[in-house]
Amino acid sequence: HFGSGVASYFIFLRWLFGINIVLTIMTGAFVVLPELLAGAPFGSTLSKTIPKEHIESAQDLDTIWSLGARLRPLFGYLQYSVLFYGYYGRDRKIGKAGYRLPLAYFLVGMAVFAYSFIILLKKMAKNSRMSLASASDENYTFCWRLFCAWDYLIGNPEAAESKAAAIVNSIREAILEEQEKKKSKNLAVTISLRIIANILVLLSLAGSIYIIYFVVDRSQRLERTKKELTLWEKNEVSVVVSLITMIAPSAFELVAALEMYHPRTTLRFQLARVLVLYLGNLYSLIIALLDKVDSMSVTVSLTCFLINSTNFLATQNFSKEYNLSTTIPDVRVKRNSMVTLEESHGQGSAASVSLVNKTASSSTQNPQDQCWETYVGQEMLKLSIIDMIFTVASILLIDFFRGLCVRYLSDCWCWDLESKFPEYGEFKIAENVLHLVYNQGMIWMGAFFSPCLPAFNVLKLIGLMYLRSWAVLTCNVPHQQVFRASRSNNFYLAMLLFMLFLCMLPTIFAIARYKPSSSCGPFSGQEKIYDIVSETIQNDFPAWFNTVITYISSPVVVLPALLLLFMLIYYLQSIARSLKFTNNQLRMKIQTERTEDKKKVVQMAVARIHNLDGNDKRPEQETDIISQESSAWSSTPRKNGSVLNFESPVSKSTRIQTISQSVPQTVPSADVARPVSATPATSASLTTAPSVSSVQKARNNHIASSYPSVVHGSASELCKAKPYPAVTFKKHTEDVHSEPLFRKSIQQVNPDTLGAGAPVFVGRRPYTARYFVVNENESHKKSLRSTSRLQRHFRKDEPGDIIELYPRNVRRYVVRTPHQVYSPHPSEDGEDEEELEREFINRSHRPRSLSDLRPAPRFYIGERADGHVLMSKDLARVHYKSWDDGFELDLDRPPYAYRKVHLSYPEPRVKPKSKQKLEQSLTESDSISIESSSDPQNSSNDQYIQVIHSKEKYPKPGTKLAKKKSKNSADLNLSEPNELVCSNV
Amino acid sequence: VYRLHGRYHEMAPNVVPMDYTKDPDVKLPMQLIINMPELKENPFKERIVESFSEDGEGSLSFNDFVDMFSVLSEMAPRELKAIYAFKIYDFNTDNFICKADLEKTLNKLTREELTAEEITLVCEKVIEEADMDGDGKLGFADFENMISKAPDFLRYCFNCV
Repeated sequence: HFGSGVASYFIFLRWLFGINIVLTIMTGAFVVLPELLAGAPFGSTLSKTIPKEHIESAQDLDTIWSLGARLRPLFGYLQYSVLFYGYYGRDRKIGKAGYRLPLAYFLVGMAVFAYSFIILLKKMAKNSRMSLASASDENYTFCWRLFCAWDYLIGNPEAAESKAAAIVNSIREAILEEQEKKKSKNLAVTISLRIIANILVLLSLAGSIYIIYFVVDRSQRLERTKKELTLWEKNEVSVVVSLITMIAPSAFELVAALEMYHPRTTLRFQLARVLVLYLGNLYSLIIALLDKVDSMSVTVSLTCFLINSTNFLATQNFSKEYNLSTTIPDVRVKRNSMVTLEESHGQGSAASVSLVNKTASSSTQNPQDQCWETYVGQEMLKLSIIDMIFTVASILLIDFFRGLCVRYLSDCWCWDLESKFPEYGEFKIAENVLHLVYNQGMIWMGAFFSPCLPAFNVLKLIGLMYLRSWAVLTCNVPHQQVFRASRSNNFYLAMLLFMLFLCMLPTIFAIARYKPSSSCGPFSGQEKIYDIVSETIQNDFPAWFNTVITYISSPVVVLPALLLLFMLIYYLQSIARSLKFTNNQLRMKIQTERTEDKKKVVQMAVARIHNLDGNDKRPEQETDIISQESSAWSSTPRKNGSVLNFESPVSKSTRIQTISQSVPQTVPSADVARPVSATPATSASLTTAPSVSSVQKARNNHIASSYPSVVHGSASELCKAKPYPAVTFKKHTEDVHSEPLFRKSIQQVNPDTLGAGAPVFVGRRPYTARYFVVNENESHKKSLRSTSRLQRHFRKDEPGDIIELYPRNVRRYVVRTPHQVYSPHPSEDGEDEEELEREFINRSHRPRSLSDLRPAPRFYIGERADGHVLMSKDLARVHYKSWDDGFELDLDRPPYAYRKVHLSYPEPRVKPKSKQKLEQSLTESDSISIESSSDPQNSSNDQYIQVIHSKEKYPKPGTKLAKKKSKNSADLNLSEPNELVCSNV
Repeated sequence: VYRLHGRYHEMAPNVVPMDYTKDPDVKLPMQLIINMPELKENPFKERIVESFSEDGEGSLSFNDFVDMFSVLSEMAPRELKAIYAFKIYDFNTDNFICKADLEKTLNKLTREELTAEEITLVCEKVIEEADMDGDGKLGFADFENMISKAPDFLRYCFNCV
């Protein structure tokens, strides 16, 4: 609901959760479980027993809760549990299997860091790869945001709502960016403001660091002076740290308002500052702690020395001073006391046994308490817990109660609470993500000293996730400036990586610098923690391995290896740089190409304008355009679209062309047959074009028909477009005459007509099929054009259609004979037949045609049926009828029919299978149909006419035919749904 | 197709016949169509139905219905989708996407959450970005050019079935 930003927060949270689970499993499986199962049982050793004098108070809830105060004897069960470093035993091998716990502890501690590093880097690499892949230039930002925004898959209202909100956000973002670009800046003011803001931020950072240091110091002093600390005093440090982490970001936000940066930069700055603040907090805390550790370790060494000395010389003075030194654990004091001790030792004063016993008892207790690793771990855990408490409290107080107040008090308040001051809490993604990062940093910092910290963090994250999501959903409003999270995703990860590195440093430093506490933990008694590794290698591995290791670790190997690594890094970096360079270049190339594209489009548009001026020139230009565009399929819509201004004229002209093409067929035939069937309406221009087309057709008939349809289409268009002079008309007629096929066919026709009988229908059926196919192809081709336009054209050019109708009607009565003629010659083209038909029509039945104009309207009525041909399966007759009507439809309602036909693209392929006889002719007719757009109309009409004819004049054969046709139509029906399905698939 | 017809029939069982032998001239009103789960939440549902309906009024015959689903299907070619997307966004059906169209689109998309200035700004930016012949509105060529460069047009947009 709150867009991708909030989602990204939760995704990040979930990811962190996953990491913590893995860390928990690692520590749990390799450290905690073995210790619990095979380690020395509770109370068996000194470090695992609760001091007797504190065992009663350990039950106290307060002590468990507060985890004890520092430097005072620490008690409570938690301290002596697997939670902390101090619990783990120092035996090199535990259990029957000889599990090397100290080694495992060390290795797991390191593995936690290594794993975190690896998984972080992996994630970052993946993210950057994704961002690179999806990087697109910003040329069409707004367009894409507008037109491609909606996800058409969205089906449920909530998703739709959130999507709408996301779209609003993204648009707002784009607007903001745009405004930022435009904004004129008053440099002096902004710079001064920014300087002030930065100073403020630095001051607050310094202040927070100082406060933390002060608090830690004060707590130390308090512990020194006071015996019993209150709850507040015990937890002062972590509370203060948490408070600072909560308050400072808001202060930074206020400061950031001064700066007037671009919102995204503001976000970055804010994040960077808060990160610095968090780091400063953690560092000052850890430094203060380590400082304490430092003093503690000195104390420990001193006490050890003192114990020895007391064993030797148990003097009254000495013991007294010793007591003093233990109660006041300050280094300087100790030193002083030591000096005095030595003095007293020199004096050789006597000692009482009882006092020695006393000191011994205190000394047994002392080192156990002063287990600095446990102490650091405790501090971290405490910090983490208090941080959690504060988070929950802030969610409840700041978000929930504020939300409640605003919601219910706004009715009875003097101003609108919902829109003015308190408002609803905003969900600040950046701060929240940073808080997560900070939290994780704490975990990393403390993980080595408190192996169960990750486990605790897992619980914390679970709770936080659900609480957060609940709070967000119930009482937060989306952040006002929403910036997409995906872009800053890597930024968060980078911060996390930074945090990891910085949090690792103190741990590493502590491991390397400090001597492990002598009385507790797995590394007690060793000089350095990492000695465990070398010790293991020396003792437990074979000798050869040891020598190999020494060789490897010698500078002879290490230095070249380092050099090699550096070289490798350098090489990879240079490669990356070059890749980036080429990437940029490619992008530039794309950009320039796009601008060129734009220019081209403009040029085309201009060319179109010029075309309009002279009709004669237009066709050539158009052909140019056609040649430019690779496929007719894609070009046609574009053509129509881009020249929208001139749309209607152009379309008209093309329309006229097509009409003329349809007419020509009649015209040449008329020429041959003497009586001119061309109606009065046909103009001179119409007659010229047709001749061309028919010539073209004739030519095409001889050309192999195997060309791809697109080529044919464009070619035909070309031919159509060229206005031939009137001379060609005559030429064409000559062509027709000279054509052997034509002659032949005509000659053959006559005998056939004389002996006409049963063959008529045999022949007819195939033809109908053929025409149908033609029709399909044709319409398919037509469908390339945007359908709406087609419709319009047709409506505009209705007179043209009427013109066409004349010949058809005329033909109607004659059709039969030509078909009879052609049935025996399957190889003949539809073209020739048509012309022949027309010849016959013109010759014999011309007078009748006028009277038979009436049936035409009837076809129009039948339009609708076309669509339902697909559906109805039951009645053959119905099929028959509707089928015929369908053809008529093609003519009358082109968009309708064409669209549908377009779906049934594969039709021609299906068809031939059903016909055995006339396959060849079918293919030929295919090519023809592609070639001329008007043909199919005629043919369809012919088809129609035939049917009608048979019905009326020859009832018997008609029924036969009907049956046959019903078969055909059934085929069609079968095939068409298939096609539809295919197209859907 | 059968399934589609099933759905078509489902929407108005009393109007749509199962066989088309007798009464082939059946259309469903827009109200029924836009309540389909695929379209219900779509801000452009009316426009979608209108641009697919043959009479431009929003009632769909079964043919239109099939058309709609095939264009909105995943497999429809990009060009076809572009054509219909253009029709959908062209609210006043003047074959241009002009400012008024853009404003309507925006309002539908954002459920009128943007202010007037924001809307005008966005419209201006869109036209500035995509208009290549400088006529102040987007023709189909502009639109197709722009949409073909969009990386996720085919992936997310316009796939409904």
